[in-house]
Amino acid sequence: MTSPLIEFQQVSKFYGHGEATIRALDRIDLTIHSGEFVSIMGPSGSGKSTAMNIIGGLDLPSSGEYVFQGIPTSVFDRAQLTLLRRHMLGFVFQGFNLLARTSAVENVELPLVYRGMDHKERRRRALIALEQVGLKGREGHTTQELSGGQQQRVAIARAIVTDPAVLLADEPTGNLDTRTSVEIMDLITRLNRENGITVIMVTHEEDIAAYGKRLLRFVDGHLASDQTQAKEPDHVL
Amino acid sequence: MFFETAKLAWRAISRNLLRSFLTVLGVVIGVAAVIAMVTVGNGTTAKVQAELSRLGTNTLFLRPGQWGPGRASTEAKRFNDKDVLAIQDQVTGLRAVAPLNRGTATVIAGGANHSSSVIGTTNDYLIAQDWDLALGRKFLSNEDRGSQAACIIGETVRKELFGSANPVGQNIRVSNVSCPVIGVLAVKGQSGLGDDQDDTVIMPLKLHQRRIGGTTTIGSIILSAQDGVATSKVQSDVESLLRERRRIAIGRPDDFSVNDMSQIAAAMTGTTVLLTGLLGAVAAVSLLVGGIGIMNIMLVSVTERTREIGIRLAIGALERQVLTQFLVEAVMLSIFGGVTGIVTGLALAFGVVSLLDVPFVASPTIILLAFAFSAAIGMVFGYFPARRAAQLNPIEALRHE
Repeated sequence: MTSPLIEFQQVSKFYGHGEATIRALDRIDLTIHSGEFVSIMGPSGSGKSTAMNIIGGLDLPSSGEYVFQGIPTSVFDRAQLTLLRRHMLGFVFQGFNLLARTSAVENVELPLVYRGMDHKERRRRALIALEQVGLKGREGHTTQELSGGQQQRVAIARAIVTDPAVLLADEPTGNLDTRTSVEIMDLITRLNRENGITVIMVTHEEDIAAYGKRLLRFVDGHLASDQTQAKEPDHVL
Repeated sequence: MFFETAKLAWRAISRNLLRSFLTVLGVVIGVAAVIAMVTVGNGTTAKVQAELSRLGTNTLFLRPGQWGPGRASTEAKRFNDKDVLAIQDQVTGLRAVAPLNRGTATVIAGGANHSSSVIGTTNDYLIAQDWDLALGRKFLSNEDRGSQAACIIGETVRKELFGSANPVGQNIRVSNVSCPVIGVLAVKGQSGLGDDQDDTVIMPLKLHQRRIGGTTTIGSIILSAQDGVATSKVQSDVESLLRERRRIAIGRPDDFSVNDMSQIAAAMTGTTVLLTGLLGAVAAVSLLVGGIGIMNIMLVSVTERTREIGIRLAIGALERQVLTQFLVEAVMLSIFGGVTGIVTGLALAFGVVSLLDVPFVASPTIILLAFAFSAAIGMVFGYFPARRAAQLNPIEALRHE
């Protein structure tokens, strides 16, 4: 058995003080291994987004320990958390979150800019990533000139251009129609299978969650269920 | 990496050119004002200096009271004819000793009248000032004694009263003195202080004392040393002579002053320099206001771009990198403002300088200073908004709409 990529040890997250304290996460234990495709579901306020933010190094647990590749992250300062995101994680958001009035290829290059990579190498990698998500030939289009599905593909290219260990997708199909959603999910599934990228995805749609090989359900800050899904979705080629 | 940041900053600025321009307008105006004022001030100083040095370094000015910046010549005994005679007799190495009384009077000829400066002096004044006549002659000895009225007029007075006609031999009335014009002065132009030296009427001292000033005293005396005679020697000779004549006890300060041109030049340029400094300070305040304008817009910009900042932070921008980005943007903005201001200020100064007939003296020091100052303003006023951007919480920033 491989050593876990992500490990929650009694992770809790509280908001507020005293009587008004909200337990967004209540002593969660969780282990995710490299190469997994994990779907996370739960009603709003169940703690699924908080869990995602902690995994993504955007938020810190109130108590307990988040261990990434065997390293407890409680020792990290803000800059080190940023470096964790920069080198290990790729983010895909519901709202795409591309830079406006900026071309597709420049959006994809952005994480590499912060790595201090030189322009030529950056451009080369960005073009490869865009090709991987099926946007060859649309490198020069600005965000506004792309459809929702295409924008999400650009966002995925931006997430994978750094060769991250984990792709964190927060409702990646939330703003897309059914047909485009299927295309995006096929793309994510392929990246998981062929490139071995670990995928952790939050969604509130059962059929989207079904793409994951493992399904976590959060209720009221607890992990209500954790099941491996045998069934392969029909659409995957 | 720096080039990258500069490119990002430029893109953010050019994305909203009009707003960027309005943002830096304060800095543009501030820098332009500083540059224009200092440049015009420098030009004026240079002109005053050139003007004064043209009067010759062998000229000394003798005035009652201590004269200089911040010191008035009030309450000091004026000079008289005997002082002039004593200087002529006892001080060697002098080319000219010209007593001088000044006043202003209305000058009338025919139907025209004109208000002009009226000087009572002797022919020595024209020698000391190296002033030639364009037409006519100097005073005769009987005129000098005051028994006969005679006037020499400047070019401006001639133009005002006689147009293109030859005034020599015509009569003018100065205040209530009827006076034939015996000569016209050569054109001299504006003085270093901007007044028209040709707007003058010169008459014998005696006539001036009796009919214009109503006095027997003398306001000041101009001395001109012969070539090769040190003015410092003449200065000390005149000083000791006058101390004796005015009975000033040893140890008491002079109640008069003898200054050569360089001392007067220093005093006058001192005034212009002070004025330039004051105007510069006023302009610097507007620069400060410009800086606050930049801070204001940068804060708005940070709020507007909260989501963008969130994206950058989420995908791996360090706080430091976001801080640098916004700081570079602010500095770039204010440098654009500074450069625009420098160009505008120089253009403005050039216009004013040509109007005032003053030399255009651009000071590289002040240009560099204005540039550095505008960059510093971007740095100082950009820091707070930039820090705010860098310390945003990425989760909240991403949620921001």
